[in-house]
Amino acid sequence: MHEDKQPSEEWRAAPDEPATPQGDGLTRASPARPLGPAELRTASCDLLGRPPLRAEREAWLGKARHELLEAWVGGLEFWQNWLEEQLYYFFLIDNFRPESEGVLALPAELAAGRLDVREATQRIALSPSFDQRNPGADTFVTVVMEQLAGMTVQKNVRELEIGKSIYDGANGVFLGRPGKRQADIIEIAVRHRAFAQTFVAREYARFFGAPPQAKALAAWVQRMHAAPAEYAALVREWLLSPEWEARVRARLPMSNRLFARALYVDLLDRLPDAEEARRMRSALDGMSDSGPLRSVLARILIDSGSVNLPDKRAIADPRRWIWEQFRVLLGRDASEDELNAFVEAFAAPECRPATVLYALLTHPQYQSY
Amino acid sequence: MLTPSIDRRSFLAGAAASALLAPKLVAAAQGKKTQRVVLVAFAGGVRTRETFGTPGNVPNLLALAKEGVLYKRVKSSNLGHYGASLSLFTGVAEPRGIRENGRGEEPTVFEYVRKGLGLPASEVWIATSGGAQQTNYSYSVNSEYGARFGANTVDGDGLFNAEFKSIVNSLGRPKPLDEREAQLLARMKAAVGGGDARKALNSPESAAQVERFILEELTGGTADLRGPNAADAKAIRVARNLLVLFKPRLVAIVLQNADIAHTSFNGYVDVVRQNDAALGDLMRAIRADAELRESTAVLVCPEFGRDRDLNSRRGLDHGDGSEDLEYVSAVAWGPDFARDRIVEDDVRAVDLCPTVCELLGAGAPRVKASRLPRLFA
Repeated sequence: MHEDKQPSEEWRAAPDEPATPQGDGLTRASPARPLGPAELRTASCDLLGRPPLRAEREAWLGKARHELLEAWVGGLEFWQNWLEEQLYYFFLIDNFRPESEGVLALPAELAAGRLDVREATQRIALSPSFDQRNPGADTFVTVVMEQLAGMTVQKNVRELEIGKSIYDGANGVFLGRPGKRQADIIEIAVRHRAFAQTFVAREYARFFGAPPQAKALAAWVQRMHAAPAEYAALVREWLLSPEWEARVRARLPMSNRLFARALYVDLLDRLPDAEEARRMRSALDGMSDSGPLRSVLARILIDSGSVNLPDKRAIADPRRWIWEQFRVLLGRDASEDELNAFVEAFAAPECRPATVLYALLTHPQYQSY
Repeated sequence: MLTPSIDRRSFLAGAAASALLAPKLVAAAQGKKTQRVVLVAFAGGVRTRETFGTPGNVPNLLALAKEGVLYKRVKSSNLGHYGASLSLFTGVAEPRGIRENGRGEEPTVFEYVRKGLGLPASEVWIATSGGAQQTNYSYSVNSEYGARFGANTVDGDGLFNAEFKSIVNSLGRPKPLDEREAQLLARMKAAVGGGDARKALNSPESAAQVERFILEELTGGTADLRGPNAADAKAIRVARNLLVLFKPRLVAIVLQNADIAHTSFNGYVDVVRQNDAALGDLMRAIRADAELRESTAVLVCPEFGRDRDLNSRRGLDHGDGSEDLEYVSAVAWGPDFARDRIVEDDVRAVDLCPTVCELLGAGAPRVKASRLPRLFA
């Protein structure tokens, strides 16, 4: 399993390699910001909520990052992942997951450019699931104020009370605009500048694991408030920035959802079905330190018989095979010391190919990207 | 951390060995018998009217009160379920978003106890019923405390449900490793360089213990619990099993199913009754174990109550500012506490945190609360 290109082939296309003469005598320059294993794995996890599939690794390693962003940002899978992230933010998961056609159609409509992120968020908040998740005037208005507008209700009690009156059908001026029914509360909140502020700050933190600089945030908020359809362009800019490159080097912890999906992609070269992913994510979410359960799940899957593990005798070059596993599973090259230690252990008759996968998949580093 | 072999016999033997290897229990606080505490956030919004105001609903809580101290007026804050429950653990009433999925600024009782007593993560647990958000109770973002002093959190319904159990059943359990392969595996893992982006709560040893516990519980009956309070019942069952197996110093339980009250008053009363019955099971396990019986204190308190009047759906919301919402009843039972004492004076829900810390002999320097008054015999 997991056969990347030969080390020699890979290094020819590696980001740090200078332009080299090829067999035809012509000099070909490396593309700008070429994708190494770390950049490709991180971009895939950030944009699609999963590591790259084998075919994607073969297609994109060494290619220019901006080409990948052009191909992936704004596509259907990008918006499917975006929707899942939003539903999780609103805790519209498990029994509260929206099943209405309006919400399920959001990725396709966003991909087709028929909706922007503000309209999509509004539709999520108008879904029956959002109402059921946040029952009663107090809870509903509180959650709208907190999650859509980023407000602390305890410091805005008057707005809360006005919002509750509107929820119950009375006229009122909420966040500076008139309303008279429950849906107006959402409409007013998403059209308020505070929504753009909350949304951009939250999305930035999702990609970078840290809050944005105030000055940059102000500019992005202005842009998003004026034209929410700019979101995809903003994401492309973010992933071409030096800050994102620093974030790739620093690595961020994987969310439980990402971990469950990564495990299936890395071991089976496919995504889990929706139910498999939900059950795993839900179980992992139940633990403050999901590390021990992640290890259990990794071992269960490796030992399940579903993983296409090579026979040890068929691995002609253990060093190369181990090198490939590091690139695929950890998104980086193994150091000489690491390779030496693994190759030495692998030489022992008790060490199986599965043992190598245990070591990498149950290591804390696999739980970051 | 991987374990060579996992079966019930070796698991129990491992748990016993861990108990033997654990640091000798220090006297929690000078002259006190209490060595461990069970702190129950009887949360989801539960009014006194449906507990001590209707004794038939809560015979087990009533029995606890008869053998302990009943606080009839515990002032709570309507900070949403999340914020209000968190304040029980931090001793500070701070606003938190209802659906906020982030950790608090103030250290929790778990961090105070682990740091103050130098305890490993396997000695401090939380069993929850409310899913991802409640794992945030484990530890704060306070730089002097944080993940390294956090509690292990297990969400009973998230982990021990029939659906997840079916995944484990269909894929099968991990194959045991022989000793030599386990050694080679450990050597390879140790050779992997680079930092760990996660802030690990468990040491490799306690992580291995948690792995064993998960696998044992998955094959036990917890996943099969049903009913309107199933999530709460699982949290209580998980806590009971943890107590009996590991005898940890601090176990918190966070309930949530009573919030069905928004849409169904009758459903809410049913949850209160069934949760009381589940607490009765927990107490039977404590009473049946000589060590636990003589050394365990139990404190039970809702995070807040509910509105005085029914809403248009014949349910009960929480937002009217009434006494029903803002005052709840709490019970304290334990070897050092007074018996059959009723405290009519006002106390505060945030007082639970410093009370637990004092019982176990840990300091709680950042709390804005006091130990519960008139508690001891």
